[in-house]
Amino acid sequence: MHRGVEEELLKAIKEGLADALVEAKVWRPQRIEVRVKAEKLIEAARFLRDKLGFDHIAAVTGVDYPEKRMIEVIYHVWSTGRMVMLALKTEASRDKPSLPSLVNVWEGALYHERETHEMLGVNFEGHPNLSLLLLPEDWDWSSKGYPLRKDFVLKEE
Amino acid sequence: MGSKVEAMTLSMGPQHPITGHFRFILEIDGDIVLKLEPDIGYTHRGIEKVAEYRTYIQNLPVVERVNSYCDSMGTLLGYPRVLEELMGIEVPERAKYLRVIAAELNRIASHLYAICLVAISTGFETMLMWTINDRELILDLLEMLTGQRITLTYPTVGGVRYDLPQAFKEEALKRLSYLERRLEDYRKMMLENHTFKMRTQGVGVLKPSDAIRLGIVGPNLRASGVKADVRKDEPYEVYDRMDFEIPVLKNWDCYDRALIRALEIEQSIRIVKQALKELPEGPIRARIPPLPPKGEAYSRVEAARGEFGYYLVSDGKDKPYRLRIVSPSFRNLIALPFLCRNVPLADVPIIYISLDLIPLDVDR
Amino acid sequence: MALALIRKKLVNLAPIRGLLNWGRAWSLWSVHLETGCCGPEDMAKSCARFDLERWGCLPFPVLRECDLIFVTGLVTKKMAKRLKLVYEQIPEPKYVIALGDCAISGGFWYDSYSVVQGVDKVIPVDVYVPGCPPRPEAWTQALLMLQEKIRGERLA
Repeated sequence: MHRGVEEELLKAIKEGLADALVEAKVWRPQRIEVRVKAEKLIEAARFLRDKLGFDHIAAVTGVDYPEKRMIEVIYHVWSTGRMVMLALKTEASRDKPSLPSLVNVWEGALYHERETHEMLGVNFEGHPNLSLLLLPEDWDWSSKGYPLRKDFVLKEE
Repeated sequence: MGSKVEAMTLSMGPQHPITGHFRFILEIDGDIVLKLEPDIGYTHRGIEKVAEYRTYIQNLPVVERVNSYCDSMGTLLGYPRVLEELMGIEVPERAKYLRVIAAELNRIASHLYAICLVAISTGFETMLMWTINDRELILDLLEMLTGQRITLTYPTVGGVRYDLPQAFKEEALKRLSYLERRLEDYRKMMLENHTFKMRTQGVGVLKPSDAIRLGIVGPNLRASGVKADVRKDEPYEVYDRMDFEIPVLKNWDCYDRALIRALEIEQSIRIVKQALKELPEGPIRARIPPLPPKGEAYSRVEAARGEFGYYLVSDGKDKPYRLRIVSPSFRNLIALPFLCRNVPLADVPIIYISLDLIPLDVDR
Repeated sequence: MALALIRKKLVNLAPIRGLLNWGRAWSLWSVHLETGCCGPEDMAKSCARFDLERWGCLPFPVLRECDLIFVTGLVTKKMAKRLKLVYEQIPEPKYVIALGDCAISGGFWYDSYSVVQGVDKVIPVDVYVPGCPPRPEAWTQALLMLQEKIRGERLA
């Protein structure tokens, strides 16, 4: 049904993103992965939204990799026209994780970014409100830590 | 002499007798709501973190309780699918049909509950009683299938857990025909009721371009005129063989969001009847390897409230490295402050209920 | 002073105490506190099939007129303060029924960072109903057990 759409999109992404791109590949039909550099994140996102039609934001995920000393942030975006899901990946260093916010590109990322900030500590520059969303109001990150990081240990059995 | 707008902050507190704990912080001027800020997290359990401490099979009931409130199959079905994609397992045909039957029955039950909540918010106690009782018919069928009414835990990695009991097919067909006749009663009682129309038509209009820009999913998106449904965009199980339609509406308001759920119940009844007729014989479960390989996968399923996504990162061990649960109510949450700007105070509960946000689903 | 003592003795005389306790047990109005997945069973129990109103239990939105809280499901740390507030707003005599494994002891979320391990750490509980979720028939039995408890109470 969608044979060939992913290959075309991959070509267009490689041409359009050029030096911002680190890696791009096809996982399977209807799934593409694109890894970009953190400094070029906003222009890459605008290119993907405006030129290639990735308009429907699905999720923002943060994954903690303590051995690689980085936190990977992944934006999953669906294209309503081409029926393909794109995983836009980027990295932030684990010591002071900071990335530009994509709220002005995909407005639906508002609460997702806020949750990633409170669970993993990634600072999204330009986000209007990065206060606590799901955690109790008296949660103090400096004493209790960030819940989804690997060094935050739940009660042992 | 200049006059200044003095807005008052009102908090509609977490305990309210509708759908669980959700707090709105409203800025109001007289009777008009200027701004709404949702305050969530009163039912946050940290399921994404807890899932990293349980094995993959132990995670099945844990992940289900993200929203086993109304829609256990829709919530859970994506999780075995993301593992099957990672491990490269093909589910047997009979199991696929059984998954579809259970998922559609659960969708009917969930939409009946959603219509019940819409009825409560407009003060329609009769519809509350009718829908809850008709939902009992469907819950009986699910209990016949799995032994549980609400938290079914029916799909498992590689197939389903139980096979169809003997009397199921006749019972199901009987009850579904009764439900089809009841939908006519709902139309006459609620959807053509003058007061209900006055309270819901023209309220909370969400344009299609805004809906896509905000990332809205599910019946809310389809009531805003966008034809998007995972069952047709990316067919899974046996939906590509099922003959059903995706209703899409034109007025984009709260009335449409209530109407579309009644239309989707009709389509679900069609799917269940067809699936029961075409159900093949065979095993209901495939053999699975003990551990998934390293890698990642993203699975999408159309739950009753919208698209339910699972993103799994596996490092080859017996527990997930990272499981991200993308629930539809969390994605729809942003529509609430967007729609509740400069509206009368009495419209806020109606808009909230028509979006069908379940706090359990939002908080995970 | 003497009048108060006489009234105290009178009200605990068997026929009067029996009558007052009977009246209280058969009209327990409940507050909704639908936290967890046990919520739809809360709806189901008040409707036509499992009608709990036969035993006088009416779900009522005004807190000051209620006597019973059904805590259905888990209580998080963020919600615990508000739960205590709701409990304190209900006038005496008041009762609490903890429904579901999560309300009894944390249930599935025994190691979660934001769940209170049992609602009895926040408010005192009278009846515990295990199950995940408990069936509406179990709710009925819980109400009947509470009624028995009330019938045997001393007043003042």
